[in-house]
Amino acid sequence: MVQRTMLGSVMVVGAGVGGMRAAIDLADSGYKVYLLDSAPSIGGIVAQLGFMFPTHDCVLCRGTSDHGYGCSRPSISPFLLDHSQHPNIEVMTNSTVIGAQGLPGDFTVRVHRRPRYVDIRRCINCDECAQVCPVELPSGYQAGLVTRKAAYKPSVRAIPNAYVIEKGPYCLDCRKCEEICPTRAINLDEEEQIEEIHVGAIILAVGYRLYDPTPAEELGYGRYPNVVTGLQFERLASRSGPTEGIIERPSDGKIPERIAWLQCIGSRDQEHPYCSSICCMYATKEAVLAKERLAQVSCEIFIMDERAFSKEYTAYFEQSKNLWGVEYTRCRISEIKEDPHTHDLILHYQDEKGTLRRKRFDMVVLSVGSEPPPKAVALAEDMQIELNEYGFCKFDKFEPLDTSRPGVFVAGAFATPKEIAETVMDASGAAARCMALLSGKSGTQVTTPSYPPERDVRGEPPRVGVFACYCHPTIDQVIDVDGVLASLRHLPGVVHTQALEYGCLPGGPEAIRAAIREYGLNRVVIGACTPRTHLALFRHAIRQEGLNPQLLEFVSLRDNCAWVHGDDPAGATRKAKEEMRVGVARARHLEPFSKEKRSFHRSALVIGGGLAGMTAALSIADEGYDVYLVEKTNQLGGNLRHLYMSAEGPNPQRLLRTLIKRVHSHERIALYYNTEVIGFSGHVGNFRTRLSSSGNGEPPRCWEIEHGVTVVATGGYEYKGNVYLYGQDPRIVTQLELEKRLWEDVDAARRLRQVVMIQCVTGPEQKIHYCSRTCCTNTMKNAIYIKQINPDCQVYVLYKDLITYGFREEYYTEARRRGVLFLRYEEEDPPQVQISYGKLEVRVKDVILDQQLTFTPDLLALSMATMPAETNPQLAALLDVPLSSEGFFMEAHLKLRPMDFTREGVFLAGLAHYPKFIEETISQALATAGRAMTILSREQLEVGGTIAIVDQAKCVGCLTCVRVCPFHIPKIQRQAIGVGRIVGAAYIEPSLCTGCGTCTSECPANAIQLRHYRDDQLVLAEEPILGRWLVKD
Amino acid sequence: MSDQDNGFKPELTAFTCIYCGSMAADTAGALRVSYPATVKLFRFPCTGKVDVEYILKAFEEGADGVYIVACSIGNCHHVHGNVRATKRLAYARELLQQIGLEGERLGIFYMSGSQAHAFAAAAQEMTERIRRLGPSPLRKAKERELEP
Repeated sequence: MVQRTMLGSVMVVGAGVGGMRAAIDLADSGYKVYLLDSAPSIGGIVAQLGFMFPTHDCVLCRGTSDHGYGCSRPSISPFLLDHSQHPNIEVMTNSTVIGAQGLPGDFTVRVHRRPRYVDIRRCINCDECAQVCPVELPSGYQAGLVTRKAAYKPSVRAIPNAYVIEKGPYCLDCRKCEEICPTRAINLDEEEQIEEIHVGAIILAVGYRLYDPTPAEELGYGRYPNVVTGLQFERLASRSGPTEGIIERPSDGKIPERIAWLQCIGSRDQEHPYCSSICCMYATKEAVLAKERLAQVSCEIFIMDERAFSKEYTAYFEQSKNLWGVEYTRCRISEIKEDPHTHDLILHYQDEKGTLRRKRFDMVVLSVGSEPPPKAVALAEDMQIELNEYGFCKFDKFEPLDTSRPGVFVAGAFATPKEIAETVMDASGAAARCMALLSGKSGTQVTTPSYPPERDVRGEPPRVGVFACYCHPTIDQVIDVDGVLASLRHLPGVVHTQALEYGCLPGGPEAIRAAIREYGLNRVVIGACTPRTHLALFRHAIRQEGLNPQLLEFVSLRDNCAWVHGDDPAGATRKAKEEMRVGVARARHLEPFSKEKRSFHRSALVIGGGLAGMTAALSIADEGYDVYLVEKTNQLGGNLRHLYMSAEGPNPQRLLRTLIKRVHSHERIALYYNTEVIGFSGHVGNFRTRLSSSGNGEPPRCWEIEHGVTVVATGGYEYKGNVYLYGQDPRIVTQLELEKRLWEDVDAARRLRQVVMIQCVTGPEQKIHYCSRTCCTNTMKNAIYIKQINPDCQVYVLYKDLITYGFREEYYTEARRRGVLFLRYEEEDPPQVQISYGKLEVRVKDVILDQQLTFTPDLLALSMATMPAETNPQLAALLDVPLSSEGFFMEAHLKLRPMDFTREGVFLAGLAHYPKFIEETISQALATAGRAMTILSREQLEVGGTIAIVDQAKCVGCLTCVRVCPFHIPKIQRQAIGVGRIVGAAYIEPSLCTGCGTCTSECPANAIQLRHYRDDQLVLAEEPILGRWLVKD
Repeated sequence: MSDQDNGFKPELTAFTCIYCGSMAADTAGALRVSYPATVKLFRFPCTGKVDVEYILKAFEEGADGVYIVACSIGNCHHVHGNVRATKRLAYARELLQQIGLEGERLGIFYMSGSQAHAFAAAAQEMTERIRRLGPSPLRKAKERELEP
């Protein structure tokens, strides 16, 4: 057999939230990543969102623009926080793929690179080009609400951090931008290029396009100024929007008092026969935001079904209604009229009772749905992948992240409309698929920067070198840079001062390095743009001269000084002198430190042998690591055992058999039946788990295993409590039982005369109402099956909200087409079930008909809730991880870390997280494997850095740190000795500490210090730095 | 301006986190939104790191006013560092009042990283507030101490 080439590199097409997540996971696991986007900056649609539902936090810091598009540790952080430069990721903007030749493991991808006309390495963001540019165009980032120049930066925090020239038909080719650019970064003659790139696998994460409602003339979008799209409202309410979040209506800037949202614009219609899945929630979010900002506003959402089908979503909807007073009216609006004098908008509609109504609004927001991404057809042709009938990427239910072409994977909304959390799961899952394919190639195509051995500067008297950039014209036009340096020359410890033209351009870092050598510097202070973008660059420079990167102090002379005090050059120079003086004083007290390396166990524990657990175990094992798979019962499969049909067609039992066979035969999977976790300790990389195995009447056997990561996949179950007389009559069954009956006995379906199905069945055990996600589609599946076999059988579905999201809408449509009847009941007035004289009777008050109806079905199928496993509280306590209000396991962040726990190294998949479909479970299980790989693929773990350290000799064991730590990291070590020989002192595990410093500020004994921010580095004996300004005017 | 206020330019110290606080400061820069050039910024990993000791020390060293710029409540990157900072600030205010300093010399502002105008407005508001209150008595004492 010919050995196929396998490359350790992946191309990720599309740099939205999914593409970024996939890129980071792959890069962290040692793969070279090419991250492409057709736009001039990364971030996708998520970068335009201010807040996320239902968490109401900003997106990109955890995700996006509002906190400045790019901070933060929890989510996409490593990539964006580390100054936008993961060493293993190459970002290619203005780029599209136009073809891929080759086989899985070895593709040659052709990339079309459109010119940016600005060299991102030379652009200093001075804005001069935009100021001279005479062409104004609508700002895409602000959804057309304001304008920008043809020479522009897509958004303030755009990554890459550089301008771009749009040379389209509007550009006058006046070349003023090229002339004025102080760093000669602009070249208007740059030409487009076709580049060939070799990669082992490809992920398509090209996202979606929001429906443009302009062609729907009856809605007046584009003609009536106060009709806006959901995205435009998002920008209006966003802190990074044109008004910093003050919601004004476009026609006259008036603060709106009545706002309406119209749902399903470009969804669930003839042209788009699917549900866009996100609009119900984003409309609710926008309405709540409006309520938060505007005390007097009334918000009304015109909605068909309330599709709040994910974790904590139902609670969010309830809050929106009950706490914020957002009104929901069940109706689809098809026309908007405008009062031409006031630009108010008038809606005519029929309410659910059939009454005609007319209402006036200040603003109307169109909740536009998702369409396939632009140029999806061309992309599919170029990449030789298939699209589905809606124009989205085709995938198999059991391989949801694989396209029709081997080695090419899909993640996010390109496959089906979906929200952020699902996109993130897909992304990490697709990364895992690539890693399984390219197993063993991690680290083969990446280079780690090598540095000379570090010089130990401890004990040396400080020799501080001070550098400041002119950065013409941004700094030197305002600040007297030479004057600033002169004021520092005689400060204690300063042995060298030097001005730099541009510290970041070639020559800059080299000048600093030369000075370090020439003057024997052991501390460096740099006054330049901002540490947010350039700290990494200068740290890299001093490391190249053997200095620890922590020995650098960065003062922002541009962003925090010259740019904000342009009207006061003397004041700006004075402030620059003072801040540089503080920088020098602090630099004298800086000390070197690095992350410490630790060895760890490169193996995984997977708890639960259902679909999620088996998928995660197989994926991790396929990537080449040992897995302990622990199953509580004596068989694998979990809930998958009870699924016989899927709405889409493929047979779940086939999947079950394949998985079980693969698990049994995998050499890297150690499988334990009848086994439970009874003890758990340690932390990421080094967990120690105590297992207990019982069964066959033997006495339980207990033993311990050590492993590096843990996956929780303990599942859930179908509720089977005593509700609607369930359990008292064989004619009353659960939806899963019905499925089994239909599967095992086709003739049974032929004999049925009438079937009633009740949706949203819960019992008192379900403390909080939540949507179980899968039931509506299961109901459609069974109803359609009955109708297929026996078209004369009457099927009635009694529901509150029909939630057939995404392409599942098709089954709802088909069920109706086949004559299934749907009757809506109100929460307060649920159906009544009774058996009188042997006859099964179901009574319901139908909301639309406003009538009491009675059915006497042959069979009553109950869509029972999917419940969290009863053992969740015990397991959560053992693992020291939280549960959600519904009783499922609670991930680190609902949107951006849906498969991670806050406890590092512990991951989550399947029904243990929340009810979900087979394909969703597989995605999430693969995602845990992808996340696990970011740890297992390392040679050693790096822990520490800027973290809090306890001086146990000073600790009184008062528990203050234990209480105030936001992540519950400090623990009292019983064996440690504290102050006055008291037994028990606090300990902060370096691999877990996030370095916020909260504990250090609260410790009454001052026993905890945060590295780099120690008290003696801030409160200096020799000169004040926190208060008085010592600068002489 | 200096004629009207006897030339008093309050000198302020602002503590920010490296997330929203300093991001807002940077955004103010990128958008060229100006504010008084008499505020010096300290960046901490989180406003949860703002120790009462640092606040008091800043005053002791002669700052006319001190304020914190934090992420909006609910949006702290360390869950509740900004809430801890708020609580500590209230405590520090009490201490200031006990020694006869006005509590208003100490402020806290919450904003997201994109809010350039909110950042500038905070600097403006603190400056005006302190200008009304006049120089910190501790600063005068410090200056006297330093005079020969």
